Amino acid sequence: MLKRRDFPMLGYGVGLRRQHYSHVLETRPSVDWFEVISENFMVAGGRALEVLEGVRASYPIAMHGVSLSIGSTDPLNRDYLRQLRDLARRFEPAWISDHLCWTGVGGRNLHDLIPLPYTDEALRHVVARIREVQDILERPLLIENVSSYMAFADSTMTEWEFISTIADEADCGILLDLNNIFVSAFNHRFDANEYIDAVPAERVVQYHLAGHSDHGTHLLDTHDHPICDAVWALYERAARRFGAVSAMVEWDDNIPEFAELARIADRARTIYETATHTANRESLKKTGKPALPADHRA
Amino acid sequence: MSHLKKLESLLYRLITAPSGVAEGLAAEGAGGLDDIVLGDERLSAEARVDIYANMYFYRLLDALKEDFPATLAVLGDDNFHNLVTGYLLEYPPTEPSLYYCGQHLAAYLRDHPLREGAPFAADLATVERAVVEVFHGPDAAALDPDSMRAIAPADWPALKLGIQPSAQILALDWRVSELLRAVEERRDWTPADRGSHRILVWRRDTRVLYRELDQAEADALAAVSRGATFAEICEVVAAGGGDQDPVAAMNRMLARWLADGLLVRG
Repeated sequence: MLKRRDFPMLGYGVGLRRQHYSHVLETRPSVDWFEVISENFMVAGGRALEVLEGVRASYPIAMHGVSLSIGSTDPLNRDYLRQLRDLARRFEPAWISDHLCWTGVGGRNLHDLIPLPYTDEALRHVVARIREVQDILERPLLIENVSSYMAFADSTMTEWEFISTIADEADCGILLDLNNIFVSAFNHRFDANEYIDAVPAERVVQYHLAGHSDHGTHLLDTHDHPICDAVWALYERAARRFGAVSAMVEWDDNIPEFAELARIADRARTIYETATHTANRESLKKTGKPALPADHRA
Repeated sequence: MSHLKKLESLLYRLITAPSGVAEGLAAEGAGGLDDIVLGDERLSAEARVDIYANMYFYRLLDALKEDFPATLAVLGDDNFHNLVTGYLLEYPPTEPSLYYCGQHLAAYLRDHPLREGAPFAADLATVERAVVEVFHGPDAAALDPDSMRAIAPADWPALKLGIQPSAQILALDWRVSELLRAVEERRDWTPADRGSHRILVWRRDTRVLYRELDQAEADALAAVSRGATFAEICEVVAAGGGDQDPVAAMNRMLARWLADGLLVRG
């Protein structure tokens, strides 16, 4: 069974974005790791791959995809998967992740992360496909919870039951996006804390930390704002429950200077250290044992 | 058809409906979405699907604006918006990467009514698309002057060269390269003049460059591309050189191709 300790603890990373390519290559800034968007590097050649070679020579990376479309009822795109596998063979990421959603059907691509109904039918469909994908990629996959703006009348389980059961049955990892939980909790009126408390701890391999925009009637996952306090609070709750999990700052629009992203990644490190220290101190006082098993600590 | 497939197919049609989800629903003959998508007092079921419809269009519009900045400048925001609306209906994205979303835009523009006001726009879009493709095209080590000098004189006639595999030579009816350069350099642009010619789009290191070719150079590069020997390339240059000294012309071309990082081993 997949466990977080099968993966390296990469620390506190940042999404590698085009605006920062030169800065990263020229100054090798102090950041633990980079997450890269897989599709941006599934090209024949040129600057993107040259940059990735340079970054990979100095940092661990994880590959994060947006077009796997694991929930689509179209057949799996084997050409895409082969390209993804080849990219992974070349750059040796710590892991590959993509979203628990569908992005197209009928051979067409919406280039968006569309949620699934939380039904037994969708669950069985996704589990079978993740198993196949993991075979093709020759490695486990992490699936990420998406922000959503619609929920389906025929769903028979909560989102956290859906993702947890899929992860267990497909034996894959979870990339927990704390901002996505917050956004979807607002949009669908569920308790974000309940979500954090319910997912299988040993399968959570990575966090995303990001900002969103408030449209009054709904929150939109725009990755163009600072991380709000409520999302930091969710992160602290997750840090206390899950222990050492690689975290990454995701910012895709109105992207600030790299130093600001690195500072946010450092804040995640500090919050983790403070939260786990406090949790252990409280637990030792109450029970004589630390709050987290040894393999969950950094 | 499975329940999930029916749901995904319906949502796809609604999200991509050109006049919005409401008209999409009407076209389906469906009264509403309440039995499929949960709505509440903040957002109806229809409004929730509409969020995805807006994101679909604007994400692709933004991607196309980024890939075709000069075409956008020539057509203007409103015309470009309308162009993309029609384009996405005719060429909905099928590939996993947004990189491909503009691959048919120049062809679509060639037969579009907007060509009346800007007859050079399709050629401009052709070059802009080539710039994107060349940027991500395959790598190959460029030949440098030293490696050429190391070739023994006796080996030159049978020598086979090639051009960078990412390079493209485009045949155009409008001289759009100055217009494109003006937009790239944020200068005022003027409409392109009519004139059949060829343009070379290539990558030196990681930078994409483009320039017009005269007939002699276009013919010579075509010979290089089809795997002609150096002797055959010289014959092409001699045949097309007019009054020019063919040896001098060949030397000039060779020096420029090497400086451009254009040549690779054949």
